[in-house]
Amino acid sequence: MNLRTASETLSFIRELEEKAAKFYEDLAERFPANENDFLAFAKENRKYNKQIQMAYQSVISDAIEGCYAFDLESENYTFETDLPDSASLADAATKALAIEEKILDCYTLGAEQSGSLLADVPRNFKMVLKKRDKRLERLKALA
Amino acid sequence: MALLDEPIKGVPVAKNYIDGEWVESKGEIIDVVNPVTYETIGKVGISTKEEIDSAVQAAQAAFHDWRRTPPVTRCRYLFRLRELLEENFEEVSRVQTQEHGKCIDESRGETRRGIENVEVACGIPTLMMGDCLEDIASGIDEYLIRQPLGVFGIIGPFNFPFMIPLWSAPYAVATGNTVVIKPSSEVPFSQTKITELAEEAGFPPGVWNMVHGGRTVVGGMLEHPDIKGITFVGSTPVMKDVIYPGCGETGKRCIAQGGAANIIVIMPDCNVEATIPGLMTSFFGNAGQRCLAGQTLVIVGDDDAFYNDFVAKVTDRARNIRIGYGLDESVQMGPVRDVQKKESILNYIEIGLKEGATLKLDGRKAKEILGDYPETCFLGATIMENVSREMRIVREEIFGPTMGIIRAKTLDEAIEICNESPYHNGHAIFTSNGKAARQFQYDCISGNIGINIGIVAPMAFFPFSGMAGSFLGVLHTQGKEAVRFFTESKVCIHRWL
Repeated sequence: MNLRTASETLSFIRELEEKAAKFYEDLAERFPANENDFLAFAKENRKYNKQIQMAYQSVISDAIEGCYAFDLESENYTFETDLPDSASLADAATKALAIEEKILDCYTLGAEQSGSLLADVPRNFKMVLKKRDKRLERLKALA
Repeated sequence: MALLDEPIKGVPVAKNYIDGEWVESKGEIIDVVNPVTYETIGKVGISTKEEIDSAVQAAQAAFHDWRRTPPVTRCRYLFRLRELLEENFEEVSRVQTQEHGKCIDESRGETRRGIENVEVACGIPTLMMGDCLEDIASGIDEYLIRQPLGVFGIIGPFNFPFMIPLWSAPYAVATGNTVVIKPSSEVPFSQTKITELAEEAGFPPGVWNMVHGGRTVVGGMLEHPDIKGITFVGSTPVMKDVIYPGCGETGKRCIAQGGAANIIVIMPDCNVEATIPGLMTSFFGNAGQRCLAGQTLVIVGDDDAFYNDFVAKVTDRARNIRIGYGLDESVQMGPVRDVQKKESILNYIEIGLKEGATLKLDGRKAKEILGDYPETCFLGATIMENVSREMRIVREEIFGPTMGIIRAKTLDEAIEICNESPYHNGHAIFTSNGKAARQFQYDCISGNIGINIGIVAPMAFFPFSGMAGSFLGVLHTQGKEAVRFFTESKVCIHRWL
């Protein structure tokens, strides 16, 4: 689906983050030695959702182009979280990196498209991108 | 996409709020219709003259104590209201969409701009300060204090049911006045929700009142000797023929904001890709039902290639606007508010065609409505070319999702077109040339001027300006001008003998 409005795009991103958070919670159960890492990732995802929602509600105005802020194809960013029972920690981390890549692509293009329209929203997208660097390093170390 | 939940459930009756009590109107009860489904979602009373009188009496009685409440204390009620509005942000936004039809992004934007006015009014201890000068003559000091006047009437329109009364009400009560708000009876639930929150914030009985209704309530406000002033936002004919003369006859202060037929000027040096979303919002946002909407697009220059390419891009974008119920988050344009308004818009399109305009994009019938909804109030985006400056579709307010395109040879000619319009609310220019932008700002007669902004909506700390056919009065709503409007300047000169 082609995402155009701020509302539908942020709902979509919220779903991505939540789906990824559940994936990390699942990994925390399956790999107790790395439980802290995965639970921290899940917590961060939900924090990002709140942060972006707050930014949106603070900046949205009847005078800006909220209904025309984005042009994203949702299919490009959706992902599956299924992991075979036999998957190793390295497999799980590789899968997590693939998921992260999808989410990061969505934020990157979303920030680019809405840059001049929604002010704080793309700025928060960029903040989330930056904050995820450490997570990526950690996942790469596990993969 | 799935719909967001509808907050108005079970066909409630919107009640009046008078002297801290919720009371059902004794007048005729009429239906409130969702313009998307055209089903009744609630009911509202058309209040009587006795009911408006009762509200004014309550407000007048409350004024004595309220004006003596320190400004910093009055602000604390507004701080509480502000917190409650934030807590209920999503619900109040969805109420707007359900009763008005606008998209959820637009409703949330309206909510935010309404809250911003409450926030600005929270600064009243500073905003309301007077002036002082020692020694205007030897041993004599002079100072100015701002005092509240009493009861104010606030008359709201249908197109921004949440935000527009908040251009006035927070400033009125923060400065120590009391208010009676009359929302549009087409969309009574947004103000009902705000009033519920004002009650929860703890405003003393009689400070914040709301009376639903129509002409009888407006007439009752205009005639009432205890109402010191009125703020009105609505149509220009009502502004000119009813509100302004009515206030004059009874010596009331008046801010009267009327209609518009805004002109957006496109220079060939504009950033085309960045301009087009701005035009979509300007012309088709809120289904064109706003006094800052673009109505006529003036493309400057004789470069046919630029003109054709620009119009093709605008048309392509407009053709693909998603139309449907605003509680579907993917929808970009909702319906117009009711059948009569739709017929009026269709009539204007016919007038344009008879006067020689041609259809580039025919939105008289919505191409596709997302979801299973009747066409009753829906229109698509309409674009007309070969429009000329004397046509009625340029000179009269259409208030719908239409764009008429005129070609002008020069910026001077484009500004002439703006200045000969009977309305001067929110003209704008899109250009990357600073000199052209400055000339437009300098020479164009318009209360609000946009430079690469399609909806020239002033923030809460600036006045919502307007000129000529779009405004009657001196001071404006919002910000410091609202504070001036809601207070009397009293000058004291002291000499101690």
